[in-house]
Amino acid sequence: MIRILARYSILFVLTLLVLAVMSFSLAYLFPGDVLENLTGIVPANDAQRMALERQFRLDQSYIVQFFYYLTNLFAGDWGYSFTSGIELRDEIGVALPATIELATYSMVVALVIGIPLGYYSGMRCYSTSDYIINTSSITTYSFPVFWLALLLILVFSLQLDKAPLSGRVSLLFNVEPVSGFILLDILLSDMQNKSLAFKDALSHLTLPTIAIGAVSTASMVRITRRSVIDARHQPYIAAAVSRGLSGWQIFFRHILRNALLPILPLMAIQITTLITNTMIVETLFSWPGIGNWLIQAIYQRDYPALRVGMLAVSTLVITLTITVDMFNRLIDPSREKYEHAAI
Amino acid sequence: MPMLDIKNLTLEMHSSEGTIKALDKVNLTVSSGEIRALVGESGSGKSLIVSAICGALPSEWSLTADRMSWNGENLLGMSSQQRREVMRREIAVVFQDPQTSLDPSATLGEQLEESIPSEFVQGRWFWQRAQQRKKIAISTVHKVGIKHHKHYLSAYPHQIPSDIGQKFMIAMALVSQPTLLIADDPTRGMEPTTKTQILKLFTRLNQTRSLSILFVSHDLLAIASMSHTMTVLYAGQTVESGKMKHIKKRPLHPYTKALLDSAPSFRKDLSPKSHLPTIAGSIPTLQHLPIGCRLGPRCPRAQRACVQTPAVRRIHDHSYSCHYPLHMEKL
Repeated sequence: MIRILARYSILFVLTLLVLAVMSFSLAYLFPGDVLENLTGIVPANDAQRMALERQFRLDQSYIVQFFYYLTNLFAGDWGYSFTSGIELRDEIGVALPATIELATYSMVVALVIGIPLGYYSGMRCYSTSDYIINTSSITTYSFPVFWLALLLILVFSLQLDKAPLSGRVSLLFNVEPVSGFILLDILLSDMQNKSLAFKDALSHLTLPTIAIGAVSTASMVRITRRSVIDARHQPYIAAAVSRGLSGWQIFFRHILRNALLPILPLMAIQITTLITNTMIVETLFSWPGIGNWLIQAIYQRDYPALRVGMLAVSTLVITLTITVDMFNRLIDPSREKYEHAAI
Repeated sequence: MPMLDIKNLTLEMHSSEGTIKALDKVNLTVSSGEIRALVGESGSGKSLIVSAICGALPSEWSLTADRMSWNGENLLGMSSQQRREVMRREIAVVFQDPQTSLDPSATLGEQLEESIPSEFVQGRWFWQRAQQRKKIAISTVHKVGIKHHKHYLSAYPHQIPSDIGQKFMIAMALVSQPTLLIADDPTRGMEPTTKTQILKLFTRLNQTRSLSILFVSHDLLAIASMSHTMTVLYAGQTVESGKMKHIKKRPLHPYTKALLDSAPSFRKDLSPKSHLPTIAGSIPTLQHLPIGCRLGPRCPRAQRACVQTPAVRRIHDHSYSCHYPLHMEKL
């Protein structure tokens, strides 16, 4: 147990270190002068340039610069945005939870709808209902996310006027950010018309969640279905049949758990796609998340923001992936023989 | 009347090259209280017969039989509910490979306890029943010769050695107190001492509880020491079947003779360092089955008539299917 945790934490730290190296080297890979990219200041004379270089350790070796960067990151000094002049840490602190919130709801939708549907069609494989579920999941899976989002906006916001076009919550409501999750914040706040604000936030959430969740649900259905079919053809199911167990007993005692075990690592892979999709859809719905924020940073050539934003997003993805994989490793008894951790 | 009576069991698999008869008119009977050995090379369809009896064949294969009855009831015509009841209470199966036949995500104890029929456990409350299930599980495990029940009942299938796994499969089969035990190669890959233990256990069960056993194996020595009757299978056809002592003394089918001759322990006259007699060639694959008698191309006594499938002939309770059996010397 402790060995597993140690292995996974070593993997985690090493991966983060590689990411930090990459994000550090970005400053040198961006076009233009390194000093200007980092500070956003065009030095007027040589004296000012020298002073700035000394302040940002640019006069010293790459190694020293990298460690200076690392200490800054740990100290919470992530630099300032060119465009807004606000500390990047505060900006990311607002944008990242918004993305996580959207991704979480989509994942919940995918799990709640996708897994039961997958089980159903896997148990009834090659029947009419299975074909219907399978066909619709392939169709949904093939939709490009941005196109589906645009279609949803076109139909539900512009034509039917059922849902708001963009944003997180109506500007009428002033929600204090505590956790960063809008629904939670509304519940925690002490405003007068809480239920109205909650309803409004929900209506803002619905369309982006559907847009992101549809693809995740479809892939969840397909993964679960395959896994259930594979589990049903295992020899131990035939052995259970020959022991005279009933269909329900076989499903609950043998198929349910064995089909679920291979789904978890595949879910870890899905997380990457999910975050990417969320970042794309955010831009379309003007959701104030990290994807939207990064796009704006690219437009403005906001190099420090890009550098730290990329690090933040990749840290999120790596953390989720490794956590899910470790969880799977801990609950699956037959994976004890695999010593090494892997992403 | 035999307990299990199978006549002309045919299993057809449908592939892109047409239908393949994996089993061709197989006859098999098991009477009450006897140990029937089912012998054949790997790939001769032994395990398919076992799966056919317990109804675990994929539904896309078509299974037909003139008769397939269990205590006079037609197994093929039963509803799945009735069939399950038969499998739960009366027939028990020990599968070939314990590692794959046990659920990898559940402990052995859980799997053993779920095989206990609910009639065996009394008690008003579920904890009383659970306690009783546990008691039955422990005593069954002791019966098959596993001593450390505490360790093994809470182990997962990948944590145990394969002979313990095999004993566990036997325990799971015996816990429902069946009248017929089908053992599909139960001693495969076991060391001789464990093998002897298992075979002794089978013999004892047969004698004390008059448990009928269908013993599927290719270990001729084990079969000869314990079974009363024997059925020989070749490439999905029954070749010869009868009392063990008759077959051993005087096999009628060329294949049975070759099979017995190839086992050194049956030959007393074998001189040292001499070659074991074998018949040329190897068992045909399912895609290239010969027509008629499937031994035909390899048989030393084959003649033109062998392209027709020979009918089953019988002398008392010894039946064989061959056009030119060994007791007819005129060739």
